[in-house]
Order: sequence, then structure tokens, then C-alpha cells
Amino acid sequence: MKIRTPSTATGDRLILLAVVLLAAIWIAPIVWVVGLSFKPNEVLMRTTGGLVSPPFTLKNYTDILNSSAVFGWMLNSAIVAIGQMTLTLILASLTGYGFARTNFPGKRPLFLLTLVALAVPEQAIIVPLHTMFATLDLHNTYIALITPRLAFPFGVLLMTQYFRAISPEIEEAALLDNASRLRIFIFIVLPLSVPAQATLGIYTFLHAWNDYFWPLVSATRPEMYTLTVGLASMQTNFAQTEGLGFLMAQAVFAGLPVLVLYLFFQRHIVAAVAGAPTR
Amino acid sequence: MSGAILPAPSQRTATTGSGIGMSAWANMFFVLPYIIVVVALVIAPLFLGIWLSFQDYDMLGGWAGGVAFENYTNLFSDRIFLGTIRNTLLFVVMTTPAFVVVGLFLAITLNSHLRRHAVLRSVFFASSVLSVTVVTLVWRLVYLPNQGLLASVTNLLGLPGIDPVTSETWALPGVAVVTVWWIIGLPMTLFLAALQQIPKEIYEAAALDRASRWATLTSITLPSIRRTIVVVTLLEVILQFQLFGQALLITGGGPDNRSRPMVQFIYETGFRDLQVGFAAAASQVLFALMLVAAIVQFWVGRSRDER
Amino acid sequence: MKIQKVFAALLAGTAAFATPAAAQPKTEITFARFFGACEADYGNSQDVAHARGECGVMTTLVNLFNATNKDNILVKPQIIEWGPYYQQLNARLSAHDIPAVAVMHSAQLGDYVRYVEPLDDMLKEAGIDAADFTPNARNAVTVGGKIYAMPWDTHSWLWHFNVGLFKKAGLVDAQGQPIIPTTVDEMIAQSKQMKERTGKNYIDIATSTPGDFANSSRSFYSWLYDQGGTIFPSGYEKADFKSPEVLAAIRPFELLAKAGTITRGLDSGGGLSTFLNGEAAIYLSGTWRIDDFLAAQAKPDSPLHEGYTTRVFPSLFKTQTVWTDNHTWVLPKGGTNPAQHKAALVFIKFLWDHNADWARGGGHLPARQSLMAGYAKLPLRNFIVELTNYGKALPHEARRQFGFQSMIGEEIANVINTGKTAEQAADAMQERSVGLLRGR
Repeated sequence: MKIRTPSTATGDRLILLAVVLLAAIWIAPIVWVVGLSFKPNEVLMRTTGGLVSPPFTLKNYTDILNSSAVFGWMLNSAIVAIGQMTLTLILASLTGYGFARTNFPGKRPLFLLTLVALAVPEQAIIVPLHTMFATLDLHNTYIALITPRLAFPFGVLLMTQYFRAISPEIEEAALLDNASRLRIFIFIVLPLSVPAQATLGIYTFLHAWNDYFWPLVSATRPEMYTLTVGLASMQTNFAQTEGLGFLMAQAVFAGLPVLVLYLFFQRHIVAAVAGAPTR
Repeated sequence: MSGAILPAPSQRTATTGSGIGMSAWANMFFVLPYIIVVVALVIAPLFLGIWLSFQDYDMLGGWAGGVAFENYTNLFSDRIFLGTIRNTLLFVVMTTPAFVVVGLFLAITLNSHLRRHAVLRSVFFASSVLSVTVVTLVWRLVYLPNQGLLASVTNLLGLPGIDPVTSETWALPGVAVVTVWWIIGLPMTLFLAALQQIPKEIYEAAALDRASRWATLTSITLPSIRRTIVVVTLLEVILQFQLFGQALLITGGGPDNRSRPMVQFIYETGFRDLQVGFAAAASQVLFALMLVAAIVQFWVGRSRDER
Repeated sequence: MKIQKVFAALLAGTAAFATPAAAQPKTEITFARFFGACEADYGNSQDVAHARGECGVMTTLVNLFNATNKDNILVKPQIIEWGPYYQQLNARLSAHDIPAVAVMHSAQLGDYVRYVEPLDDMLKEAGIDAADFTPNARNAVTVGGKIYAMPWDTHSWLWHFNVGLFKKAGLVDAQGQPIIPTTVDEMIAQSKQMKERTGKNYIDIATSTPGDFANSSRSFYSWLYDQGGTIFPSGYEKADFKSPEVLAAIRPFELLAKAGTITRGLDSGGGLSTFLNGEAAIYLSGTWRIDDFLAAQAKPDSPLHEGYTTRVFPSLFKTQTVWTDNHTWVLPKGGTNPAQHKAALVFIKFLWDHNADWARGGGHLPARQSLMAGYAKLPLRNFIVELTNYGKALPHEARRQFGFQSMIGEEIANVINTGKTAEQAADAMQERSVGLLRGR
């Protein structure tokens, strides 16, 4: 792979240039968000340009940190997001392995069920789901915040597809040694799926962390608010015009933990290129 | 939780000698927890929703009994609703190829653990951490007629102004650009994960053969991740069918209903106007469209697989 | 199983944090509202007199009540973003998770009337004198002859003027005040003169998102009522958008768009900054913006420094009316036990006694007639104080008022932004109204 002719080196540079240009376009609005978050709200009522010239302020951030409830909301979001991520990974991996590598009666119809579930739009079930949890008296609990998202058919599809691409010989050898299917799954197949796990993990976490409508209607006691609901509740009725800087600071504040998590996860997505022994 | 359930049956599997490819009831325990979750949390509410779609049910006004297919016949004579079907399909057609092509390009280009590639990957992921409210606020500033960033750029280049907020032609493409910008990180990451499965030796052999970049791409990389391309396409179609927040908050569905997606219609009739039965019917139409799209794609992907 | 135990333990932990061991049990009542939370600025402040903005006044009022009430009552605010407030309230009602006291726009009251307590007797019990309601406030909370809410304010629709631009365009009277147009023709002529002499747009209105659609529908309703028109000539189950009055209420937008003297495609931030930067002469917005513009006028570098004033949304037709809405307090049915019910009444009486603070700090017109004279002394309020006598809203019998507001606003936005005619907009409104009123 490292053997290069001069022409591919030029090609490499051109492609990198294209990506860097694209990245510049990509990052511009983000820089704007961060810039706005350090500007006083009164100034932003008149103009949203002039990011590099004073005045600057930290007030938008201190306003968030001075809210006594904000760390409780953050804890709730962390519990919900980590819970959802962990349980989804377990469910999706088990199921994906079951579909990709084992046979059992009714496999095809059950896989079809997954496909059907994939096509169910969230809007089609949110009202019945809310009624169900109300009947069970589960609103304002972590269970209600976490479980509705566990049925994540795409995760199953992704893992099924990923396990299918892993060479079956590895397993067959272990099977001859009379190892149980669960042992093979946990000790042999699972470690090979780290990139897919990391990808699925970061996205279930992100989705749970940014979720708004379900927590809004399910967690109605302020002590059960997630960060998104809590931060939104702090906004005045005219937040988009008179509290723009505050809104942007909230976005940075809420987004930063996920970005840090991504930096951690992405090593596990791409590291396999160099590290993992070839199969 | 599931760890406690599984060992015993699968031990039995091994001792009864069911090898790879052999069918056994015990293997069903791998998928059973998930099937239970799906039935309880998706299929059951889905059937409740289907039942609702045959009722005249107002969230505050109460239940006025069954109406057979009236909600559906009303839907298909509703010009606004028919417009949302057109918009939604157009949107899926605009965004899905963009997600697959751009996502694939980024993944292939940035598939290394060079530091600068890691930084670039983070840049393309970073926009995904923002909530839809903030994404749309910033892009409304970009799209602001005459004063926004887009207007300044087109003015500077002497191009005719593109005004997504007030133009029937540019509204939906405007929303599509925002959507691709917002969540390109997902397809990129999925493709990256898939690329890790391609054995390094294949590339090394190709390099020794002095295979061109294009040949390597078309004869090694793309075929190896073909299944992932199918899965990502499927995912993007499913996701983009459910377009909502970006359209609502940038164009409000306008101008002249040119960017209102089906989910916005469902939201407005169900949650704003409280016509739950009517909204449920619209949801079922969306579900049917998505199901058809999913099955067609799955079928196309499968048949190619078997060839 | 194990996970559930962990959850249970965590829940118990959270609950323990939330309810500090009190010496004697307090009567807790829940208080659902929007208006935001502003602990950073007001924390535990009880200085109601110096609080500014809706959020500041609400926060300090609750702080003050919790600290000083003699009945051992603790009000627990449950604050929600304004956008999805009613969706969340609907979900709470259907899940029987009902707040003791909740804020509600009077435009919504008709839809919720069977879910909230009738208050005639309770107001008496609480010591609130309903005779002191302004005519507008009384109308706003009365459904079928009964009172269902305690009114908290009236807010309405205004023209905010950049007086400097009006001077430059030669559209001021001898006192240097803007000349207010009295017919559609006068307005269009003014708008052209403004554009010619200053190069600026005459009308500045936000029209891009559902939140902005209210701007054009409020204007539409005001001009419709000015002609004595209605969209419900024959009962509330069928709307009529074919009347000449409806067309005449949309027409001004068509003419302004044709003349090129109205802003196109602005969102709320863009609309506001356009006016603050002196790029348009008249900003269509509500009573709640007056203090912001007075503050801007006070700054020497502001384009409004040359002059800012406001008037009730002017009639271009035979009589002066204007769109109004109100914040009110309701007691949802089933939200309280008897002790909490008493506490809720004590709390709304406390709010009633502080209505003047809300009007001053929040910028709205008070709901109490006895406070009007004092309110009129606040800057520029003399121009708008009369509107509580003639301001008008859709009757409570009209269903889906939110839907109508969005739909009408969206169609007028189409007139402004894409050049549809008034007739096309009216046809679309007619068609869409059928869908809105369908079903129970």
C-alpha cells in the first residue's frame, strides 16, 4: 500500500486538497456557532456578523453553569444515553449474530419482522407508546426514558451484515473443539466487530443524548428532565431573537461531551487497520 | 440480563452437535430478547396506530367512534398531503445518493490513522452533535435573503441569487444541503467501519501489481463493502423519509407547500390540531411507502448478492 | 431484573435529593409554565420590583411567594420551552399527570374548557374581584358565561416606527410624529414614498417559519375585524374565506409585495435586526417589544436614536379593532387534592396582587382595570392603553385556533414571498379550513 508512483502522490495531494476544502465548508457554520456563543445577546439582536471583534462575554456559559439543576439533567442524560447505548449494543450484537451465523426455525420471518420494524416511522407509534407507558404508570422513570429506543432495527441489520462478512472458518475450528455458541460469540466473533460496535455505540449515544420529544412528554418532573429538555426550558419565549448567544452556548455545552466521546470512539473504528492481525 | 438466560441452552446446542449452518431451536435465544422488545415497543404500538387510523379521535375532544376508511379518503383528497408525498419522495431522491457518495468518498479518503485524517474525520462528524434547533438557526442565518452568507457569496461571484426560503424551486434543495451537512458523519463512519474488514493483503497485492487507484477502488474496495453500501442506502432512505425538523424550522414547509414533508403534516394534524385518527392514517401511508422502499432495496441487494 | 434494581436505587436517590427533609410537611403544588428560567440572573431573588422581562418577573414572584406565604405552601415550577408547551400539556392530561396551576393562552382556552375548573366561585373564595377584569380580559376567560381562568395580561399587535426614516421620507406631522395611514391606498402611497426617499422597506415582517406565521395572521385578523368581518359567518363548524372582507384583509399584503415595499423571507431574528439596524420603517410585532426598542433608542449609535414610537395596529377600514391574546392561569381538573386546591387559590391570589409587576416587567397590558391608569404612565403606553376596550379575539367556540393561525399566516406568507394573489390565498385558506374542522 505504501508503494507509490509519482502520479498517485499527486493524486493523493489533489484528493486531500478537495477534502480539506470540503472540511473548511463543513466547519464554517460550527465556528459560527462557537463564535456566537461568546457574544452578548443584546449585540446579536442587531447583528450576527462581526464575530472576531469585541465585545465578548462568558455570561452565556456562566448562565448555564449557574443553574442549580443543570448537573442533575446532565446526569439523567448520561444515565439514559449510556443505558440505551449499552443495552442496544447487547441486543443488536446478539441478534445480529443469531441472524448472521446460526439457523433456527422461523429465522426468515423473524428477519422480515426486523425489516418491517425498520420501516415504522417514529411518528406512527409515539402516541400509542405514550399511552402504554402511562397505563403502566412508568412515566418519569429511567425505564420509560430508555426502553422505547431499544428496539433499534437498524442496529440489528448493521450487526447482521457485519458478522456475515467475518470469515466462517474461524468459528468452525472452535465449534470442532466443542465450544458453545455463546462462548464463540463472546470470545471470538465479538472482538472482531469492534469497529461496528464503536460506530453503533456512538450513534445510539448521540441519538439518546439529543433526543427531545420523547423525554419532553415522558419526564415531566424537572428532576427527571434530560439535558435537552432542561436547557430548552431555560429559554425565554423569544429566545431565538433575544437569547441567540445563550442558545449557541447551550449547543456547545450539550454537544461537547458527545464530541469528546467520538474522539475516543473513533480510535476503535479505524485503529483495526493497523493493529488487528489479518484474518 | 441476557447473559443469565443464554449459557445453558447454547451449551446444549454444542453438545447436541449443531454445527454452523445447522438449525436448532436453541439458537433462537440469540434473537429472542430483541424480538420481544420489537414486538412490545414497535409492533404493538404500530397496531394500535393502525386501529387509531380508522377512528375519529381528537386528543382533547375525545373519541367519536369508527369512521372506516374516511381518514384515508380524506387524506387522498387533501392537496397539502399529496404535496407532502411529492416533497418527501423528491427529498429522498436528492439526499440518499449524496449521503452514499460523499460518505463513501470521505471514508475512503480518511481511512487511516494519520493524525490529520483523524482531525478531518472529527470535523465531518462534529456537525452531528448539534441539535436540529441550532443547526436550523445557523442555516437560517446563512440563507437569510439579501444579507445571509449565501446571498453574499452569490453576489460576490455575480451569480443570480439563490433564495431557499422564498423560492419554490430552491426550498427543498436548501433543506437537503442542510441535512447532508448535518449528518454526513453517520454514513462516513459506517463506511469506515466496513473498510476495516477488507484484509490488508489484498491491497498489498494490488500495490505490487501496480494497479491504478481507480482499479483498486472498483475491483477491490467497492466489491468488498458492497453489502454495507446496500445497508447504508437502506438506512438513509429510511431516515430521509422521516425528514421533519430541518424543513419545519428553515422553511416552515413553504413556500407554497414546496418543502413540507409527510412527518410535518403528521405533526401538524396530530400534535397541533389534535386530529389523532387523521394523523395516524397519514402515518400509515408513510409506513407503507417506507416498507415498500425497504423491501425493494433489500430484494435488489439480495438478488445481487446471490448472483 | 438487576438493571431494574439499579434503576430503582437511582430513582430513590434522585427523589431523596429532590425533597430535603422539612421540619413540617409543606403543601406542594406544581406550577406548569413557559417564560423560561433565569436562575443565573435572579437566583433566589425576591426583588420583584426590579425584575425585568417575563422570565425575571415570574422567577422572582415564585421565589417571593415561597419565602413569604403564611400557609406553608411550596410552589414547584415545572418549566417547559414555549414551543412544545401545549403538546406536552396534552400528553400530561392524557397520562393523568396533571399540574395544579398552569399557564394558558386565552386563544387555547376553548379547546381545553372541559379539562379546567370553572373559577367563578373559586375566585370569590380566593378574594379575587372579577369586576376588576378589563373588558378584554373578561372576554378572554369567559366561555359560555362562566369564567375558566384567571387573566394575567392582554398582549396585542402594533406598528413599531423608526421615526427617523419617517422624517426623511417626509411622512411626519407638525409635531414630528409619523402620519398614520387610514386607508389601504394611503398606506401603499406612503410605502412607495418611503422606498423612493430612503431606499428602505416600509413594512418589516418575519414570514419564514411556523413561529413567524403568527405575524401575518395577527395582522389579517386585525384588518378583518376593522371591517366587521368574520371567518365564521354561519356557525363555528364551517369557515368562509370568500367574503369581500377576507379578501380586503389579505389585499394590503399583495399590494405591498407588488410595490416591493415589504421584507421577504425573513425569520424572527432577521426581522428584528432589520428594524434595529434602521433598514425598515415599520416593524410588525407585539406589545412585548416596546421596552427593547426604547432601550435601543436610548443608545446614541442606534439607528432608532432619532426616534422610536409605536401605535396600535392601524385600521385601514371603518372601525379600529385589533387582534389580542392573553396569558391566563388555569387550574386543570384533577391536579390537586383539597389541601393543594386551597394552596393553588392562595397562590393565584398572590399573583393577582402582583399583576402590576407583570405588566411593568413583562411589558404586557395588565388584566386589572384598576391598574390601567398607572400602566398608561409608562413610556408610550398612553398610545396603546385603550386597546383593552376594543381588542378582539376569535370566540372560544372556534376550534383549532392554533391551526387556523398557522394556516392563514402561511398562506399570507405565500402572498408576500412568492407573489400569490389575495384570491389564490383565500381559495387555499378555504380548502385547508375544511380539513382543520373535520372530525370531532
